[in-house]
Amino acid sequence: MTASTLTPAQRVAALEAAAREPGAEAAILAALEDPAASVRERAIKRAARYLEPSVLGALVADGANAVRRNAGLSALDRQGPYAVPHLVGMLGGQDPELLLFALQSLSRIGHAAAAPAILPLLEHPDPNVAQAAIEATGKLRIQEAVPPLCGLLQRDLWLQLAAIAALGDIGHPDAVKPLMAFVPDSILAEPAVQALRRIAAPESLEPLVPLLFSVRERSLRDPVLLAVAVVIDLHPDPEPMLRRMERDVVVDGGNLATYLGQLLEAPPGEGDADESDSLLRAAATVVAAAGIAELQPVLLARLARDAASQWIEGLFTRFPERLTGRLAELLRHPDQDVRCGALRVGFFSPGDVSAVIGHLADPHLPVRTAACHALGRVGLDATAPLLLERLRNGEPPEQAAAAHGLAGLSPEVLGELDGCLEPGTAEAVVVEALGVLARTPVPGLEPRVLALAESRSPGIRLAALRAASRVPGSRAEVVLMRALADRHAPIQAEALDLLVRRGGEKSVTTLVAMLGTADSLRFHVIRALGHCRAQSAAVRLRDLFSQCGPHEQLQIVSSLLRIAPAWLPQFLLLRLESPDLDMRRAAAQGLAEGAGHEHLPVLRALAEDADWDIRHSAARGLGRLRTAETRDLLLTLARDVESVVAATARAALEQSQAAVSSAA
Amino acid sequence: MSPFPAADLKLLGDLIQERFGLTFEGVRQEILAARLGPRLRELHLDSPRAYYEYLRFHPQRDAEFARLPALVTNNETYFFRETRQFEILVDHVVPERRAGPGRPLRLLSAGCSSGEEPYSVAIALQNAGHAPGRVWEMDACDLNVERIARAKEGVYEEGSLRACDADARRRYFSQEGARFRLRDRYRAGIRFFQANLLSPGFAVERGAYDAVLCRNLLIYFCDAAFEQAIGLLGRALLPGGYLFLGHSESLFDRTTELAPVVVGGSVVYRKPPA
Repeated sequence: MTASTLTPAQRVAALEAAAREPGAEAAILAALEDPAASVRERAIKRAARYLEPSVLGALVADGANAVRRNAGLSALDRQGPYAVPHLVGMLGGQDPELLLFALQSLSRIGHAAAAPAILPLLEHPDPNVAQAAIEATGKLRIQEAVPPLCGLLQRDLWLQLAAIAALGDIGHPDAVKPLMAFVPDSILAEPAVQALRRIAAPESLEPLVPLLFSVRERSLRDPVLLAVAVVIDLHPDPEPMLRRMERDVVVDGGNLATYLGQLLEAPPGEGDADESDSLLRAAATVVAAAGIAELQPVLLARLARDAASQWIEGLFTRFPERLTGRLAELLRHPDQDVRCGALRVGFFSPGDVSAVIGHLADPHLPVRTAACHALGRVGLDATAPLLLERLRNGEPPEQAAAAHGLAGLSPEVLGELDGCLEPGTAEAVVVEALGVLARTPVPGLEPRVLALAESRSPGIRLAALRAASRVPGSRAEVVLMRALADRHAPIQAEALDLLVRRGGEKSVTTLVAMLGTADSLRFHVIRALGHCRAQSAAVRLRDLFSQCGPHEQLQIVSSLLRIAPAWLPQFLLLRLESPDLDMRRAAAQGLAEGAGHEHLPVLRALAEDADWDIRHSAARGLGRLRTAETRDLLLTLARDVESVVAATARAALEQSQAAVSSAA
Repeated sequence: MSPFPAADLKLLGDLIQERFGLTFEGVRQEILAARLGPRLRELHLDSPRAYYEYLRFHPQRDAEFARLPALVTNNETYFFRETRQFEILVDHVVPERRAGPGRPLRLLSAGCSSGEEPYSVAIALQNAGHAPGRVWEMDACDLNVERIARAKEGVYEEGSLRACDADARRRYFSQEGARFRLRDRYRAGIRFFQANLLSPGFAVERGAYDAVLCRNLLIYFCDAAFEQAIGLLGRALLPGGYLFLGHSESLFDRTTELAPVVVGGSVVYRKPPA
């Protein structure tokens, strides 16, 4: 069978086989020009791993063969930091096309070390090269480029546009003033505002806000609104500007409010959904931050009506004072959604409680539910009877909200929950009441809680176990341990988690004793001992290892990693010799997490392992050590055929670089 | 962005690919993470790596593997989806293939999910006067045993009828509370069975079918699985038989004997006539 008659899958297999033999370079180079995309993609991965950047650079220089050129560029991109020195070297060349490719590749790789070589090219006589250099400064966020880029704002249109975008990408506040010079009366006003939005510097709030009132054309007003909203979001102290804005809205004659109102009430699905959503959020930010009274009800109603608009709650929480003086009026609003929204976001002091209580009898369930939540936020013990009443007699959402509110009160006023735990009470009420006790234990109700842990209903048993886990003393521990043998597997697993969270040497002793049973629960017991970080169980787990099946063995390794006994590295090194790949993977992962300099020879060997997951662990371990030798190994892993390995190695190199920079 | 490490998701994705030929590379890893998150919580497992180990070694791994396809694939389907292809089948393929020997046409719906596609074809054929058994018969298979059971039951939720107008609902279904039962006459002529197209044990009869519908299934397959599936479906077709793919699927850049042909204004794939 000749190469031309092989299927793409067969050609990929042939490439993989050839890549392991002498003369692999020729096979890889040939495959880079294969007619099938799937074969070329595989060849690019191999080329990135096994060919030197100079060889790939020669492919890029071959202007007569676009397939080779594209393949060479893709492989250089994949090499990442390994290719950077070569690409930086290319920036010293004369061929504008190659300069362009090198700049674009460096931009994609994202390596800031290239900055000194890029900056001189901002003034390159070839406009395409200059533009690529400008774009590269933006992609690489080269701060030193800000002054020369500001200088380029006076050049021809294409370079201006590129410079504006790059300044936005870099995000330095020094660019605010030069960019504002284009707004509002320039054809570059819109890109300049978009750049200001990306910079989001506090300095831009003062010049941008007046534009929100004065600019009427949507093509510019929308970007201004988006920019203002982002700046408000990130501003450390927007208050002075917002107060001024609140006053300006009053004298604006409703123009800005009309514009924002249209955005808030736009039906979904009109035009570009992402753009509409961004504008909606920006308008909501301005309304909440500047306290635009006529639009607050619209925003509150939207919060109550639309499950996808819960983010509005955060806006009012950030600017509570904008709502405070108007809360009473909003709570009387005829629209139930407005009342509901106001109850959900309002800040109520103990003195405001009477305004909230009335809504516990509102005809609309969401309003009553929001009132329960509001009372819970106040946290006034005197409201306990009201919340208890809703817990007993409300509908499920009210019951949950009332339970949530009750959990925030003092244990002294929760004794009345006893009535919710009596035999014959509806299961939903019992479960919610137990939920309160799981968050706020009440000593007087402990016997009742422990008794309910034996209930016939799995739902009540589960809730009671959660509450019991907060009860001190050995009786509660016995209840939890008995639940490990519950006939419902989810309750067994929950009991185990609760015991782990509860901690304590007695729990560990019991769990260790349970290692002697060889039933399906033992797997969970091994896991639980790991979560308890039970030092006293480490030796027992190690001794158990040889008697277990593979799933328990892997769990033992995981648990020992959490416990971290002193002898763990030796244990893991032994596991690395296992014939089972997954055991070796688990061991390699463990060694990577706790790697010290003494493990460098092991990590070096793991970095050359045939299995990608083991190489990935090696990359993580090497990243922790940060020595000159690990850097070379990481550079090789950074061009690994498996993207996930390469990405981890690159991240490790970047962290290492950042550590060096910060130390310097 | 997924809360899980990319390496864990790749480990799990590779296992799923090896077992089912389904691929979850690149951005699809996010989909995998989103779909498996609830299952991990149910099993009290804290990472995809722990789930991978569960699938590889846990005593209950076979049962877990059996439910995995339903967890990770989209069973998004409904009656009369992409109906243009049914029209082509009825108006062009059936008349052409019936000119052959006097036997019923044999059709295959590969990746039939809970039956919406094969039943839609059956309705289209019956509406054109082509009786099941005499004029045509159909095999329908899916990887997921639960979906096959639902297909055999023939009872659907509202969502499966989203492309049905009121008249279609009345004609083809009887309402049972909030659900809709396909009328018996449209359930005739179809044989449902569970099968993994990529399993070594899956063998369709060579040269058995006049037309195969395999729509919106191959998008989940890795390259090797795609080639394998296309080879298998090609062998399953009779000479001159047709393969219908989903709108976002094509055999461009694939090595196959199936050639693109334009029928009724749409591209379908055809095995060379004998």
